[in-house]
Amino acid sequence: MKLPNLLKMTAAAIVLSASAAHADVKFGALYPFSGQLALLGEESARGLEIAVDEINAAGGIQGEKVVLVKGDAVDNNQAIGEARRLISLEKVSAIFGTYSSARSIAASQVAELSGIPYFELGAVADEVTSRGLKYMFRTNPYAKDMGEMVVDMVVEKVAPGLGKQPSDLKIGIIYEDSSYGTSVSKHQADFAKEKGLNIVLSSGYPAATVDMSSLVLQLKQAGADVVLQTSYQNDSVLFLQQANEAGYKPAAVIGGGGGYSMQPTADAVGHDVIENVLDVDFTQFLVNTKATPGLEAFVEAYKKKYGIAPRSGHSLNNYVGAKALMESIGKAEGFEPDAIVEAVKAIDIADGQTAAGYGIKFGENGQNERAAMMGMQWQGGKLVAVYPDAAAVSKLNVAK
Amino acid sequence: METFLQVLVSGLMLGALFAIVSVGLTLIFGIVKVVNFAHGEFLMLGMYLVYLFTTKLGIHPLLTSVIVAPLLFVAGVATQRFIIQPLMSARDDHIQIFATVGLSTALINLALLLFGADIANTPASGLRTPITIGPVRVLLGQLVILAVSIMLVIGLQAFLKRTQTGRAIRAVAQNRAAAQLMGINVNRIYMLTFGIGAACVGLAASMVAPLYPTSPNIGTYFVLTAFVVVVLGGLGSLTGAFAGAMIIGLIDSFAGFYIGSDVREVVVFGMFLLILILKPSGLFSNRLSLSHVSP
Repeated sequence: MKLPNLLKMTAAAIVLSASAAHADVKFGALYPFSGQLALLGEESARGLEIAVDEINAAGGIQGEKVVLVKGDAVDNNQAIGEARRLISLEKVSAIFGTYSSARSIAASQVAELSGIPYFELGAVADEVTSRGLKYMFRTNPYAKDMGEMVVDMVVEKVAPGLGKQPSDLKIGIIYEDSSYGTSVSKHQADFAKEKGLNIVLSSGYPAATVDMSSLVLQLKQAGADVVLQTSYQNDSVLFLQQANEAGYKPAAVIGGGGGYSMQPTADAVGHDVIENVLDVDFTQFLVNTKATPGLEAFVEAYKKKYGIAPRSGHSLNNYVGAKALMESIGKAEGFEPDAIVEAVKAIDIADGQTAAGYGIKFGENGQNERAAMMGMQWQGGKLVAVYPDAAAVSKLNVAK
Repeated sequence: METFLQVLVSGLMLGALFAIVSVGLTLIFGIVKVVNFAHGEFLMLGMYLVYLFTTKLGIHPLLTSVIVAPLLFVAGVATQRFIIQPLMSARDDHIQIFATVGLSTALINLALLLFGADIANTPASGLRTPITIGPVRVLLGQLVILAVSIMLVIGLQAFLKRTQTGRAIRAVAQNRAAAQLMGINVNRIYMLTFGIGAACVGLAASMVAPLYPTSPNIGTYFVLTAFVVVVLGGLGSLTGAFAGAMIIGLIDSFAGFYIGSDVREVVVFGMFLLILILKPSGLFSNRLSLSHVSP
């Protein structure tokens, strides 16, 4: 009686441990898959999915097949709930996400408490990596990189193009007044002061506005030559239209991400009106691929898997971050959190070696110090890379 | 001086925009006595209809009002009949408010499902043409909104005063029980009023859609201001709502230019609170008002 029982248990134990040895490695994919942010949330997740496909096709990580478990971060509360589920129920070894900064900040707290690595591939707020979390890493460029790139473009390209000293330009900074616009505009103002630029107006406005004519008049009155706007989609459209209709034509308008990078924005505003408007954002697709090796292959893989061209650069940036992270985890021994962290900290990829152009090396706070945005311009109804020169496919036009 | 005139005219145009969106709300608010939080979503629904009719069938946006307003009328009648009316006898009136909040959320998510989060562009069809009058610039579409909102207020006012149905509507607004005793079918009047209110916002959608990109949450941009306008003008007062909208438009424009865009909401809502404290029944509530304001 006792012996067969013991045998059974031993057999069961062997079966269990055997299946454990061949078990897949699970990673959480935490994005807003439904609700207001679903469009770009899903676009972001596709980049991660393509990275996983490539890793699995090449034999997986440490010989294990990677399985993604999706979590739907519809809002901050659900992001927390889904992070809990992924960690305690699904037993994922790490979480990848999140596109939305607010959701990333909320969910990563849960992961930190459980000691599970959290890899942010797309959210831009400062706070994602400024909280001193031990298990938080971010591969993509963030608000500070955006502010820096915008000011660099003014100093390096716009001022010379106008034949002026940077300090002679009058800069107007406008931003939607939630944490996104406020933090980017603050970095813009800081870098602008550092470079000796003259800021004549700095004003926030609520993103849910139906009229920006008084702000346009203020900019016109202040004589701003260069307008820097950090905005979502509706307010980007509204500003560009109302400025045009008020006959206000600054020498340069530089948008920060969000609405400025999206084709429907250009279609809404009109291709003639948005012509030569500049934009700083994640790497998109009309770039010099010498600076972004692997980009064409990514676009091909994307088209093959989803049947359409990528809808924004979010997928690309998620792909680049995820692939580098998973390759590094492949060099670790086991999937214990500390082993993963150690492997990830050792990543050292030079600029110009990834499909997004930027290199990867994490700083003390877990932020990728080599991450950079790209400068683009609307030309002929298309958003083309114009800055930095290595990535440019077209000349940056400045209207005198 | 030129700038001052431009700010003034921009404010009036903004006021007209708020007015055309608010007229339907004040009607529903004043007569059915329902705080309709789904009002903005009716506007959004109307704007998507305008978008579909203009892009798929090539109809001029202004002409779509002939189809969109009746469709919204039906939507309004259905809302009253199937959502509000069953709750009329509920012990607590607030239940109706929760129902409209629910309807609002449901409609936003329905739009997300059908159209996605991206913006939909109704062709401007010439309505974005700037017109220069002296030192001032306005858009043709803004002038259309101003003209239509004035005509709408005058037309509705005449309808309520001169026609038998209009008198019945006012009777119901003044005293529901007494109106019922006089043989007025109160439920029918409520459905009709809700329908007219929704049709007004359908009409507004035809004017607004060519000027503003449509998205699932566009209604939320307008609805808060619409409530301010309606309360400011005195519940149920059409001319009050019009005047209230103009005041809010002007305050918004002047505060935005002379103080700053980041504080203009503070100024608008600060003024709103001040007016309410000084005159709790609204600026323009008088005996002509549709609503019976109880002491």
